[in-house]
Amino acid sequence: MNKQIIYFPKDGKPTLIINKWQVWDGERDAGGIPNLDHELHKVLVPFHWWITHHKNSDIIDRANKGEVGVWFAADDDILKHADIIEEGKNRWPVIAAHFPIFRDGRSFSTAALLRERFAWTGEVRAIGDVLIDQLLKGARVGFDAFELRPDQKLDIGLKQFDLISVTTQNSWRDQRATTVAQLVDR
Amino acid sequence: MYKYDHIDQTLVDQRVIQFRDQVERRLNGTIAEEEFRPLRLQNGLYHQRHAYMLRVAIPYGLLSAKQLRTLAFIADKYDRGYAHFTTRQNIQFNWVELEQTPDILAELAKVEMHAIQTSGNCIRNITSDAFAGVAADEYIDPRPICELLRQWSTLHPEFAHLPRKFKFAINGAKEDRTVLLCHDVGIELKKDPNINNGELTADIYAGGGMGRTPILGSLIKQGLPWQVLPSYLTALLRVYNRFGRRDNLYKARIKILVKSLGPEEFARQVEGEWAYLHNEAKQSKDNFTKYEWERVAKHFTKPAYQQLNTMSDEAIPAAATEAERGAFTRWLKRNVKSHQVPGYASVILSLKPHGTVAPGDATSAQMNAIADLADQYSFGELRVTHEQNLVLADVEQSKLLELWQAAKQQHVALPNIGLLTDIIACPGGDFCSLANAKSLPIAKAIQERFDDLDYLFDLGDISLNISGCINSCGHHHVGNIGVLGVDKDGEEWYQITLGGEQGNDASIGKVIGPSFYANEIPDVMTSLINVYVEQRTTDEPFIETYRRLGVSPFKEAAYKNNGKHSKGALA
Repeated sequence: MNKQIIYFPKDGKPTLIINKWQVWDGERDAGGIPNLDHELHKVLVPFHWWITHHKNSDIIDRANKGEVGVWFAADDDILKHADIIEEGKNRWPVIAAHFPIFRDGRSFSTAALLRERFAWTGEVRAIGDVLIDQLLKGARVGFDAFELRPDQKLDIGLKQFDLISVTTQNSWRDQRATTVAQLVDR
Repeated sequence: MYKYDHIDQTLVDQRVIQFRDQVERRLNGTIAEEEFRPLRLQNGLYHQRHAYMLRVAIPYGLLSAKQLRTLAFIADKYDRGYAHFTTRQNIQFNWVELEQTPDILAELAKVEMHAIQTSGNCIRNITSDAFAGVAADEYIDPRPICELLRQWSTLHPEFAHLPRKFKFAINGAKEDRTVLLCHDVGIELKKDPNINNGELTADIYAGGGMGRTPILGSLIKQGLPWQVLPSYLTALLRVYNRFGRRDNLYKARIKILVKSLGPEEFARQVEGEWAYLHNEAKQSKDNFTKYEWERVAKHFTKPAYQQLNTMSDEAIPAAATEAERGAFTRWLKRNVKSHQVPGYASVILSLKPHGTVAPGDATSAQMNAIADLADQYSFGELRVTHEQNLVLADVEQSKLLELWQAAKQQHVALPNIGLLTDIIACPGGDFCSLANAKSLPIAKAIQERFDDLDYLFDLGDISLNISGCINSCGHHHVGNIGVLGVDKDGEEWYQITLGGEQGNDASIGKVIGPSFYANEIPDVMTSLINVYVEQRTTDEPFIETYRRLGVSPFKEAAYKNNGKHSKGALA
């Protein structure tokens, strides 16, 4: 896992912060979350794993301590499990959406749905094959944290967000400049 | 014509800086080629067989003389002195250097142009009627909607990495000149007093496309108020982004999703998503506003037309000398179209000279000269047609003779619009790394075979489309006669389809049988045309004769020499 992630809150500036969450792939499942090599014990579990295990008492214990979040795979149909996500809104400190490969854009729509439809206000983290040139798009659809692929240069990543300062469609972060202009003009 | 404001200009200027940085990171090795590929494609930069190719957006085909001069300048400075107009109303430069592309983009930005989303798995350049705003059969000028959607789709973050490319076409005329039903989304604009208080609405067709599985789009929504297009199209694209197939490149287009779900189910899913996007709270934020409409629509007002009388069909050619009159009349018949305003006409400049270059190619000298013609005769504006020709949309009828004489000097006055030699062809194996076979020598050979203008004129409307591979960039599926390059054991072969049609009766052509060698194609064409000439009734166009007779007589004629040819390419 990366020691640092880019954190870009909606009304803030992009910064590097310490990564407190480890992504668990759900493998080596012996009935519970394994002991991962992580001092804070905070784990993002696969959403499909959460669906089947979230009623287990040890999972409830850890979730109550704020140590469990979920990540959505690119092919998770989150609308099919709306009730579990609604319930999870009170349990997960962080959720993530996974990019199996950088050019797979499904998680952009996942993030947009989480923000628009589920009104998720907490952190949405991009994980997986996250490259520098996805950051600006990700920030606009609803991501506010990015665990970049380990070979990516964080300093260059931090510079991506203000490259394009105008938008011509609404996004999670901004109203399109063409309607904002209306307010200025009038 | 639309004029950038500070928002548009800021966006393209910043985009140049962004792409320059991406190119630098590619050149210093911090981005691998595989990862650079979608970035450059979203900026219209391909890697072709021999070199990089840059495709520049000409939104809905509208171009100013000044922009055309810049394109000529780029062709001279950064390319080999020519460029190629495409079926998507774009222009491409075939021989650019990666290192120089940011500089080219900077040149383009100076004249309000860019290469954003002319390629890649994102929303592509939006196409429309090349005669928008002037066509006599137009009921709504589609350009304000085209421009609003251009802006909406530009650098759209959610739809930057779709399963495949995504193409919109927008029509507002009685006759469809956009091949609406062969698009991922076709938008048919209407004004019906019974819908939306007589305001502009849109019918949405989804799931059309050519490629290896040609399908005509299905109507999935009627009477959509224009204001809600952003939320409806977001819903539509979101369904496609989430559920379009990503496991197989050839099954990733929206047409496959719409086909597998069925248009009704697809429409239902879009409607379900839209219900959330289109609730009262969000509506005020997402809908296009009257302010936005006014902001773009003010640029599509009519130019300063003179008060003129319509000239009669006899009066116009009367100005020509007796020696010129025949040729001029022919040009008037084929290359001049009727106009909304009395005393004006629209002129098509043919980029299909017989037997010379690629259909749609123009040299920098021609581009500069055509820009001058636009300034002189058509308010400094031009359009690019889907058929890869150029249009001067607002020409005074009394100046047609002068214009024709000037156009002849530039070799763009061939009166072959809509005729057999007005061939739509992709660049094929001469340039494209995807192609299985060459297209350009086939086009050239056919133009050489059918070089007699009297004969061509007598044949009348016949569309001939050539694609060098199954991706069908030459739109062979909708040609009355289609030619498709195929690869068999490393050899180039050509398959013929018949019965395709664009326009209101759009249809997909049918393969007639086994494929031919390149050097057989001119004879095959002659055989097909002969069947038509022998069998047609008075004034019956080729496509009607084909529909009446069916494929059999054509097929029989095409294969009559089968086996008598030795295999071979064209010289």
